[in-house]
Amino acid sequence: MNYGFLINNSKCIGCHACSTACKSENQVPLGVFRTWVKYTEVGRYPDVRRNFQVNRCNHCMNPPCVEICPVAAMTQRDDGIVGYNADLCIGCKSCMQACPYNSIYIDPETNTAQKCHFCAHRVDNGIEPACVVVCPQHAIVAGDLDDPASEISREISKHNVTVRKPEQGTAPKCFYVDGHQAALTPTVTEGHSKSFLWGDIPSEEMKQAEPSCEPLLYMGDGEHMVQTRANVGHKVPWHWQVPAYLVTKGIASGTFMLMAMAFIYHLADLGGPTKVAVGLITMGFLALTGVFLILDLERPERFIRVMLRPQFKSWLVRGAYIINAFAGLVALWWGAELAVLFGMIDQVPVGLTHVTMYLGFPLALAASVYTAFLFGQAEGRDFWQSPLLPFHFLTQSVMAGGAALLIANLFVPLDPDFLGLASHALAIGLVTNLMMIFLGEFGMSHPTDTARSAAHKITHGEYKVHFWGGAIVVGGLLPIGLMIVGLAPVAALAALAGLYFYEHAFVMAPQKVPNS
Amino acid sequence: MKPDKGHAEQRPQFTVVGGEPVQMTQVKHPDGRMSSYPPPEHWHDWKEADAKAWPKKQTNQYTLVPTICFNCESACGLLAYVDKENYEIRKFEGNPLHPGSRGRNCAKGPATHNQIYDPERILYPLKRVGARGEGKWKRVSWDEALNDIAQKMNQSRQKRLDGIMYHVGRPGEDHYINRVIKAWGTDSHNSHTNICSAAARSGYFQWSGWDRPSPDYANAKVILLISSHLETGHYFNPHAQRIIEAQQAGGKIITIDPRLSNTASKSDLWMPAWPGSEPTILLAIANYLIQNGLYNKKFVEDWVNWEDTLKAFVGVASKELADTDALKALQTEFKAKKSFEFADFDRYMKVTYGEFTFERAALESEMPMDRIIEAAKLVAESDGRLATHVWRAASMAHLGGWQVARTLLFLNVLTGSVGSKGGVNGNSWNKFVPEPYKNPPHGTAWNELQMPHDWPLSFYEMSFLLPHFLEEGRGEIDVYFTRVYNPMWINPDGFMWLKALKDEQKMKLHVALTPTWNESAWFADYILPMGHSGERHDLMSQETHNSKWIGFRQPVRRVAMERAGKKVKYTYEANPGEVWEEAEFWNEVTWRMDPDGSLGVRQWVESIENPGQPISQDEYWAYIFEHSVPGLPEKAKAEGITPLAYMRKYGCFEVMNEPAPPYVKEVKEGGVDVAGVRRAGFGTPSKKLEFYSPTMHEWGWSEKEYCLPWQLESHVHQNHIDRKKGEMILLPNFRLPTLIHTRSANCKWLYEISHNNPLWLNPLDAKRIGVGPGDLVRVETEIGYFVDKAFITEGIKPGVVACSHHLGRWKLNETGPGIGSGMASVVDLGQHGEEYTLKIKKMGGPWKSWDPDTSRVWWEDVGVNQNLTHAAQPDPVSGAHCWHQKAMMVKKAEPTDSYGDVWVDTQKSMAHYQKWVGYTRSCVENSPDGTRRPMWYNRPLKPVKEAYKIPGKPFGR
Repeated sequence: MNYGFLINNSKCIGCHACSTACKSENQVPLGVFRTWVKYTEVGRYPDVRRNFQVNRCNHCMNPPCVEICPVAAMTQRDDGIVGYNADLCIGCKSCMQACPYNSIYIDPETNTAQKCHFCAHRVDNGIEPACVVVCPQHAIVAGDLDDPASEISREISKHNVTVRKPEQGTAPKCFYVDGHQAALTPTVTEGHSKSFLWGDIPSEEMKQAEPSCEPLLYMGDGEHMVQTRANVGHKVPWHWQVPAYLVTKGIASGTFMLMAMAFIYHLADLGGPTKVAVGLITMGFLALTGVFLILDLERPERFIRVMLRPQFKSWLVRGAYIINAFAGLVALWWGAELAVLFGMIDQVPVGLTHVTMYLGFPLALAASVYTAFLFGQAEGRDFWQSPLLPFHFLTQSVMAGGAALLIANLFVPLDPDFLGLASHALAIGLVTNLMMIFLGEFGMSHPTDTARSAAHKITHGEYKVHFWGGAIVVGGLLPIGLMIVGLAPVAALAALAGLYFYEHAFVMAPQKVPNS
Repeated sequence: MKPDKGHAEQRPQFTVVGGEPVQMTQVKHPDGRMSSYPPPEHWHDWKEADAKAWPKKQTNQYTLVPTICFNCESACGLLAYVDKENYEIRKFEGNPLHPGSRGRNCAKGPATHNQIYDPERILYPLKRVGARGEGKWKRVSWDEALNDIAQKMNQSRQKRLDGIMYHVGRPGEDHYINRVIKAWGTDSHNSHTNICSAAARSGYFQWSGWDRPSPDYANAKVILLISSHLETGHYFNPHAQRIIEAQQAGGKIITIDPRLSNTASKSDLWMPAWPGSEPTILLAIANYLIQNGLYNKKFVEDWVNWEDTLKAFVGVASKELADTDALKALQTEFKAKKSFEFADFDRYMKVTYGEFTFERAALESEMPMDRIIEAAKLVAESDGRLATHVWRAASMAHLGGWQVARTLLFLNVLTGSVGSKGGVNGNSWNKFVPEPYKNPPHGTAWNELQMPHDWPLSFYEMSFLLPHFLEEGRGEIDVYFTRVYNPMWINPDGFMWLKALKDEQKMKLHVALTPTWNESAWFADYILPMGHSGERHDLMSQETHNSKWIGFRQPVRRVAMERAGKKVKYTYEANPGEVWEEAEFWNEVTWRMDPDGSLGVRQWVESIENPGQPISQDEYWAYIFEHSVPGLPEKAKAEGITPLAYMRKYGCFEVMNEPAPPYVKEVKEGGVDVAGVRRAGFGTPSKKLEFYSPTMHEWGWSEKEYCLPWQLESHVHQNHIDRKKGEMILLPNFRLPTLIHTRSANCKWLYEISHNNPLWLNPLDAKRIGVGPGDLVRVETEIGYFVDKAFITEGIKPGVVACSHHLGRWKLNETGPGIGSGMASVVDLGQHGEEYTLKIKKMGGPWKSWDPDTSRVWWEDVGVNQNLTHAAQPDPVSGAHCWHQKAMMVKKAEPTDSYGDVWVDTQKSMAHYQKWVGYTRSCVENSPDGTRRPMWYNRPLKPVKEAYKIPGKPFGR
C-alpha cells in the first residue's frame, strides 16, 4: 500500500476550496498552510494564461524530513504517508531545512513541526482527505498507488504527469497533470512577484527577492511575462543562533585540536595553566554551543530527547552524541587538571591525558565537521550541500581555535611554542579560509538553481555587506594585515567577528530562496 | 461539558467520547476509492477521529445536520457537524445528496464556520444611542425591538401603502419574505438586482419571458461565457463543476472578457474585447451563421416570431427597420407580398445583419480577428449544444448592455440550443417554488421610490437611485429595512447614500437586518442580528442544471437539540447569543404590526393549528412539504417519516430530473400554433421567441437598435474615451472566487487568501503613465477619484483598468464593536459642503479577541472603497446601473495622495444622475395604453391592474 496524490491542473480552477477545507478539517491557524494554491501568470497580452498549482507535502518515497528528524517525530508509515507527531517534536526545524518543498511549518499553538498528513485520521477509517472531498472539479485524487484498480493508479498511467523537483531524489508522490514549469520551479518567478493579485506579499523574503541574473526559463523579453500572482509565505526557520553555534563550536573544537596536536606531535610543552586555559575555552564554548542549540528549539524544554529518544540516521543526533562524548571526555580531563591546579591531587593520571588527547582529537574533529553532514541532509538548501563543507568547517575551526588562544593569551600566558602554534594556525587558517571561499564556495559554479540563487544573495544581494565587509575584509584581509604588523590579538578578534558574519550569510541566504 | 460562555462566544471545544470512529474501510468501491462522505444512515450518530489530536487516537461524536450555504445564491448543500453533547459546530462539509452541488463546495463553504465563530459577531439586538453614525449602541430585547418596529409599521400602514421599504441584498430564499410583504398590503419590495443582473435579465426576458438562463453545461459542446462562472456568479460552484466536466469531455469554452479572469484563463478561446463591443462580436457570429445557412432553420421557423417581424417590417415599424438602401429595397419587395414564408425571413436576416462582418467586429473590439472567426466556427458546429451565459459582466457594464443578453441568446436561438440537451433552458424550467398554506392578495399600491415612471421597462427596482430620489424629493420612507445589504459601500455614489442614511426625515426609521457589521448598518437605528447558513430556515431552489430541486436551510443546532429531544420554541435559543432568524422574526413583527387584526395583515401569518398566534416554522414548512412538493410525501412515507422530517433529515429533494422544456408541451387551449400543433409556447405575448420586440417598439423604443438584437453605443465606446488624453475605462466590479460581496469579511480563512484590490494595469499603460508594481495610482472618475496600488499584468486589455469591488472595507471606530481590525481600515470621513472625503487613518492588522487567530493577522492592506467614486448610471431601458466608469484620468498619484484616499463631489454626482435621467423615455409620454408598465413584464410582487395606471402627478412633470 502506498498513498499518493494526483492533482489534475486541467480541471483545477484555482478556487481555494481545498485551502479552506484543510484549514477547517485540521484547524490550521492563520499564517500557516498545509495546502495552498500558487498562482502564476505566463505570457504577453493577448496570449496570457494563469496557472494554478496546489502545493502541499508530497509524501515522498524518500522523505528527507524523516531522515533528518532527531526524534522520529517525522515518520514514514508503511502505507506511504509521511506523518508528524506534535508530542515528540522538539522544534529544531531541521525538517524544514530538509524539505525542498516548503511543506512544513511550525504550528503557533504547539510550537511543533506540522504539515499535510494526508488526513490520515480520515484515511485510516476509509474516508478521503478533506481537500479531495470538497474540490468542485474532483481535481485532487488521493489513493493507493500500489492498487492498479484505484483511481489514482489509472489516472497516473493515463496522463503525462510531472512532479516538483524530482532531481532532489525525494521521489515525491504528488503528481500533477498539466503542470507548468513556471509554477513547478519556484526560482523561475523569484523576484517576479512585486505585487499579488489580491493580497499582500506574505513574507519579507518575497518582498526583497530579486530576479535571478540568469533566467531559469526564458519565454520572451516582456518584463511581466512570467510572474507569481499569489502564494503563501513561509517563515525562515533558523536565525542567528545557528551561525553563533557554528562559531562557538569552531572555537571549542579548534582550540582543543591544536592542543591535542601539540601534545601528540610534541610541538610544544603544555604547562598546567595552558591546559586549564584550553579546557576552559573548550568547555565554555561547548556550553555556549549547547545553549545556542537549545535556544533555537521551538520546544527547548524537550531538548534532552535528542539524546534519550534518538533517531540515529539524523546527523543532528549523531552530532549531539559526538558533542556530548567530546564534552564528557574533556570535562573529565579538565576536572583533573583543575584538581591539580587547586592542589587537590598531584598530577593528572597519564592514561587520562593520553586517552583525552588521542581520543579527543578525532572527537573534536568530528564535532567540528559533522554540521557539514547535517547540512548535507538538508535537501531543501542545495547551497549547504557542498562537498567542500567539511574541509571548510575544519579550516574555520583551526582558524577559530588559533584566534581564541591568541586572545586567551592576553589573560593567561600560554606556553610560547603553543602560542606560536596558535599564531600559525590563525595565519594558515585565514589564508586557507579565503582560498576556500573564493576558489571553492564561490569560485566554482553551483550545481542547482537554488544554490546559485543563494550564492548570489551572498555575493551580490541581501548579504553582500555581511560577505564582503564582514567575511572577506573583517574576517580575512584585515586580520591578515594585522598579523603582518604584529597585532595578533586584534587580528584574532577580527577573524572571529568575520567568521560570524560569514556563517550568518551562509546560514541565512539559502533560507531566503523560495522552495515553493 | 457545559462551556462557561455561550455558543460562539469562545473557542469551541469538542467532546471526546469513547469508542472507535465509524469504519468505512470495509466499504469497497469499484474504483478503489475511499468513501467520500459519512453515509446518511450514520448522520444522526457519527463518530470520527479528532484531527488535531492525531496521531493520538481520540474520537469525537457528531450529529450531522444538512443545511444550505448562505453565502451566494447557488444554495449549495452543506452538512454541519454538531457536537452531540455540547452542540458546538465542528465544521461544514458538503451534502452529498444535494443535486446541485453534489457534495462539493467552493472555498466559502468550509469558511461558513468562520462566520458562525466570528468573535466580532453581533449577538444581540442593538438600538442606537446618540446620533446616527456616532457608533453608540445599547442592547435591547427582541420584545422591545419588535414592539417599537411593529408600531411604526402599523402607523405607516394606516397612513399609506408605500411607507415601508424592505431593501434586500442577498435574498437566499424563494418566497417567504415576498409573501410577508404581500401580507402587509404595501408596495415594499426593493432589491439590489439592478446593480447585479437586471440588464441581462431584461435582454433574456424580451426574447422569452424568462429572465435568467439555465445553461446545460454538462452536455454542451460549446460554452460561450460573458461571465466568470469558473470563479463567481450565480451559480458558481454548481456551474463550475459542469463547465469543467464538459471541457474534460471535449467541449470548448469561449470567454469574452477584457480581463484575464480565471475563467478566461481556463478557456480554450479568450476574447478580450473592447468593453461594449460584445454585441458586435456576437452579431458577427450570428451573421456568419445566417449568411452561410449554418443555423437551425426548423427551430427558428417554429419558434421565433418571424411573421410578426416581417409584418412590422412592412407595417408599424417600417420606418425604423428599413434604415439602409438594401433594406428599403427589400421592404418595397415585401410590401407587395400577400403572405410571408420563412425564406423571406432568411433573406431579411441576411440583409439586416450583413453589415456585421468579422472585419467590423475585429475593428470595434480591437481584437485579433482570427479569434472571432474561430468562435464563429465553434458555434456553427455546436449541433444545438451551445450553452451560453451572461450574468453580469458586459451586460451590467454598459449603456444598452441588455443587448449583450439579447444578442447572446440570439446565437442559442439560431442554433436551436433553447431547451435542448447541452443548450440553454429558461430558469423557471429548472426551479421549483412550492405554494405555502395561503397567499395574501396582490397589492394595490405602486411605490414611486422603487419603480418610478421614468423607467417603465426597468427590470426590478431602481434601487441604487434611492438616495437620488430622496434628494430630489420624490418621497420619504417611514420604515426602512436593509436586509443582508450594505448599500452605502457596494452601490455607486456611496456618499449620496451616506446623506440619505443620515437624514432622519427621509428615512425615519432604519432597521438593519444583518449577520455582520457593515458600513451601512453603522448608520441604522436598530441592528438586528440574523442567522447565517446553519442558523435559519429558508427554502431555496436554483437553476443549477437541468433539474428541479429544493434545498432546505435549517438552524443546525436547533435541529441537533430537537433530535436529542430538547424543545426549542424560537431559533435564537439555539443560535449564538440572541441571533435570530428572519422567518420567525417576520412572523412576529407582522403579527404585532396588526394587533387587533383590523388591518387584515395578521391573518396571513396566523397558525392554523393554534389560532391566535403566529405560525411556527415547523407548521409552516410541514404544510409546504406535505402539500406542495410533488413526490416528496411518497418518498417520506416510504421511510416511515413525515415530509418535514424527511427534509430535516436530508436537506434537499429533487422534484424532477431533466424536466422536458415546457414550451413544446402540447396544450388543448391557449398556447400557440406551431406547425399545426397547439403547444404551450414561451411566456411572451406572442408565445414565441421575440426576435422583434413589439413591446420595445410600443413603449417608445422604436428604433431598430432597440427592437432587434443589435449593437448599442456604450457610454464607454471608443468615441467617448479619448485615450490620447489619458482617458481609460475603469472595470470596477469583477469578483473573486473566495469572497462574496461584503458578507465574507468576517471569514478569516478567506481574508487570509484575498484581502485587497489593487488596480490591474497593462504594462503598456503602466509604462505610459510611469508606474511600477505597487506604485500609487490615482483614478479619476466623472465625480471623484480614488488612490490605489498598481498591479501590472499582461492579463488585462490595454486601455482598461480593473479593480475588484468587494475589498476596501472600513470602519470609523478604532476600538469597540465593528468589523474586525484585520478586515477593515479605520478611516476618517470628511465633508466640505457637497464634497466628501475618505482617508485611511489606520490600515488593517491583528487584534485581540477570544480567537487567537485574530492576533495572527499578518496582512495590513485591506483595499480601497472605489465604489464611492462611481457615478450612478441607470440604463434608460433596463434600469440597470452601468458599472463601467469613464476614467477621466489614470495617472501616477500626486505627492499629497495617500493610499486609499477617496474624494467625491456629490454635486457632480447629482448632475451626472440627471444627465442619465435625461436618457429615459417615461411611460407618461410613451405608454401605448395608459398603463405605466407592460402588464406582461415580470416584477417582484406584481400589484393589481388598477395600480398600473400612470400616476396622476408624475414626478418632474
